[in-house]
Amino acid sequence: MSFVSVRSATLLGVQGAPVDIEIHLGMGLPGFTIVGQPDEACRESRDRVRAALLSCDLPWPNKRITVNLANGVNERKGGAGLDVAIAIGLLVVQEVLAAESIAEFAFIGELGLDGSLRSVPGVVPLVASLDDRVVVVPRIAEREGLVASRRAIRSVSNLAELVRCIRQEEQWQQPADNCVEQTPHDIADMADVRGQTAARHACEIAAAGAHHMLLVGPPGAGKSMLAQRLVGLLPNLVSQDAIVTTIVHSAAHIALPASGLVSRPPLRAPHHSASLVAMVGGGTSSLRPGEISLATNGVLFLDELGEFAPSVLDALRQPLEEGVVRVARAKSSVQLPAKFLLVAATNPCPCGEGTPGLCVCDDRAKQKYLRRFSGPLLDRFDLRVAVTRPHVDELLAAKPAESSKDIALRVATARDLAISRNGCLNSALSADALEKCAPLSSAAASLLRHHVERGRLSGRGYHRIRRVARTVSDLRDQSECVDEVHVAVALALRVGVQPQFSGDKVVQA
Amino acid sequence: MSLDDERVVAAVLATKPTLTSRKLSQLLAQQTPSEVALTLGTNQPTLQEYERMAQRLELTAMSVTHVGAPDFPNMLQHDPTRSPVLFFRGNLGALEQRRVGIVGTRSATAAGRYMASHISFDLAEQGIATVSGLARGIDAWAHKGVSVAYSRSSDHSRLGIPIGVVASGLDVVYPKENIELWNFISEHGLLLSESPPGTSPEPYRFPLRNRVLAALSEVVVVVESRATGGSMITVEEAQKRDITVMAVPGSPRNTSSAGTNLLLQQGCAPVVSVDDVLVALGLDTRRVHPPLYDDRTSLLPEDAALACALAGDALTLDQLVMRTRRDVVDIAFALGRMESMGWVVNNGGWWEVLGAQTPTGYGGNHGGSHRLAD
Repeated sequence: MSFVSVRSATLLGVQGAPVDIEIHLGMGLPGFTIVGQPDEACRESRDRVRAALLSCDLPWPNKRITVNLANGVNERKGGAGLDVAIAIGLLVVQEVLAAESIAEFAFIGELGLDGSLRSVPGVVPLVASLDDRVVVVPRIAEREGLVASRRAIRSVSNLAELVRCIRQEEQWQQPADNCVEQTPHDIADMADVRGQTAARHACEIAAAGAHHMLLVGPPGAGKSMLAQRLVGLLPNLVSQDAIVTTIVHSAAHIALPASGLVSRPPLRAPHHSASLVAMVGGGTSSLRPGEISLATNGVLFLDELGEFAPSVLDALRQPLEEGVVRVARAKSSVQLPAKFLLVAATNPCPCGEGTPGLCVCDDRAKQKYLRRFSGPLLDRFDLRVAVTRPHVDELLAAKPAESSKDIALRVATARDLAISRNGCLNSALSADALEKCAPLSSAAASLLRHHVERGRLSGRGYHRIRRVARTVSDLRDQSECVDEVHVAVALALRVGVQPQFSGDKVVQA
Repeated sequence: MSLDDERVVAAVLATKPTLTSRKLSQLLAQQTPSEVALTLGTNQPTLQEYERMAQRLELTAMSVTHVGAPDFPNMLQHDPTRSPVLFFRGNLGALEQRRVGIVGTRSATAAGRYMASHISFDLAEQGIATVSGLARGIDAWAHKGVSVAYSRSSDHSRLGIPIGVVASGLDVVYPKENIELWNFISEHGLLLSESPPGTSPEPYRFPLRNRVLAALSEVVVVVESRATGGSMITVEEAQKRDITVMAVPGSPRNTSSAGTNLLLQQGCAPVVSVDDVLVALGLDTRRVHPPLYDDRTSLLPEDAALACALAGDALTLDQLVMRTRRDVVDIAFALGRMESMGWVVNNGGWWEVLGAQTPTGYGGNHGGSHRLAD
């Protein structure tokens, strides 16, 4: 036999693409060539495959070997995940294995020099793309594989075992069924946060309505603490959401929980030196998902918002609106999920103090500092809360504050209520749907009218306040109608970041 | 040589680095500018220099007065450190009015700005000129109060005139955001500088400017000031000249009021409303005029209590919750209500209450904090 084709898959963005690995064994000078646009890691597989075969006492053909990666798309094929398929192909072409015995299989995995199988990025999407085959994955990635396909997964720990199983000299090992459900014991608790009544309330609203939140306050006020605890208020991910998040995490090769399925909303907190590519995705030939995609169905926390490069911040605007990001490169373009809850923290001014009267920055310095955030980005924060250092009494209080568990219950109730009424969370309500789902009482309408007339609210701000007010109402009263008090809370939790001077008519005069 | 030419010569002399301010001032007291120019010998200005200066003054609409000129302000005439040459736009007649200097910090609180703009508004209504330095913060807001008084009134002749004393040349607007005030003062009042056209705002010029500002005021009101800073220099200059200094009291927690509280400790008279300033000027109008009133709707008792809790400090919602031990939603609601009535303002996340507290608390009618409402 001089030719064989083995099925595997490569990753692009968060999607797998099946690849047929064609192997030809011919006469000529012994050699090993991989064609079909392999990337560097893929080209190195010849050395790994050879070492692995020899380590497992399997034969290596001293002939001219040509490997072609064919998937009908003129794209670069990346990664070491094709190693196993190439090794199996070489065994078939040498008639160590029968061609028919591998016909129903596809193989994913990187080979170690000792023949062991290692995991590769994106096992979940790769397996998902091979749904017509039985997919052999490294044992270490078995859980990931099971997320994508419950039935057709086989796992092995090394090449020798794989060969024995294919020859039916040994039984495939059954996947362990004891999925340990992930317990949120490691998630920080809101009870640790002392004081911060308003900010705690804002976190609850943010969690209940998926409203983006900006925390403004001096260093040491607990902004990061609050943001990290916000994740604990979100309900577990269910069905499709969990799978999407798992796929993204798998594609980025982030450690998945023991059960394989990401069931808790993720928290991503990239450092402010993050590059544009790190944030939105791309960079490698397989277009690795960026931080915004990794935060899908979870929280993206940007600490020190002002220190991020302006281009990085402005790149968030479109994904914030659409929930997806389309990364386009010369050779390929992909669409990555990016539906996240944005929480950002910033100092109020260069000196960090913020409190008028204690802060030493003049108006110009403050405005210059705030110019780092574009207006459109600031506008997307439904909740903007000033946070101050807690009072010493509160800090030393023996009585812990309300715990995440209790708050999460209210959040879940409010979320259920919103979904049963709107079909979506409150932050996703369209302007038309607002009239139907969030009718205003007359007092609430006149309060909003007052703020719009005074120029404190833009058109977009008006709708945002109404959405937040809807969430406030869902959390407190579950009333049909949005009342004045709900609007007042929404307004109080969306402070103007720009310094307001006298607040009097003098400003307009 | 005509008088106008004498002024151009004085302007050119003011640009000569070899002639110090004091020396020029002494020379001009005895001789006309052209005579002084002749004494300079080799340093004597050229004809081109005169022509260029004349053109420049005309182009930038600046006038010049100098020691020895008939219109040189007489409150500067006997000043030991008077400026020999003054550049101005507007009408020197403004100095005939009663004049109150209003100065303060550049990083002011909303309550401080409110106080500055309201005092100057009330002074303008009483026909008293406001002298200030056109810096950021309190200075700018003092003149904004005057500009509101002008925009509200059809009869400008009875209003107090805005007087701006700046450190840079009158054609170099600094800070830039004050360009509108700059133009307003040139049009309706008197904009004054001892720096020749084109002078940039070098840091050392500001203390010098403060000395002119103090000398031109009859009373200096410090609205908010740190314990050190430009306003305190103005205060020192005023005290050297026996000019009354008054200060607006502030919360001891507020570092922006540290300087004013220090002045009060040292025995300065406090200012809580414009009446205090009027009394200092010998213009007690309380019996003649109906009291200026606050046209804001009176606060509900619980809102008034909240205003008292907020008094003097800028607090976040959190801090207010802690101070009052009331429900956060309750307070947010009350703040929204009070903001819409103009009693409180949210300053970048921090809430401040506007206006002075009377013995009966907030919300009653009280003189002085007349609101600039329409």
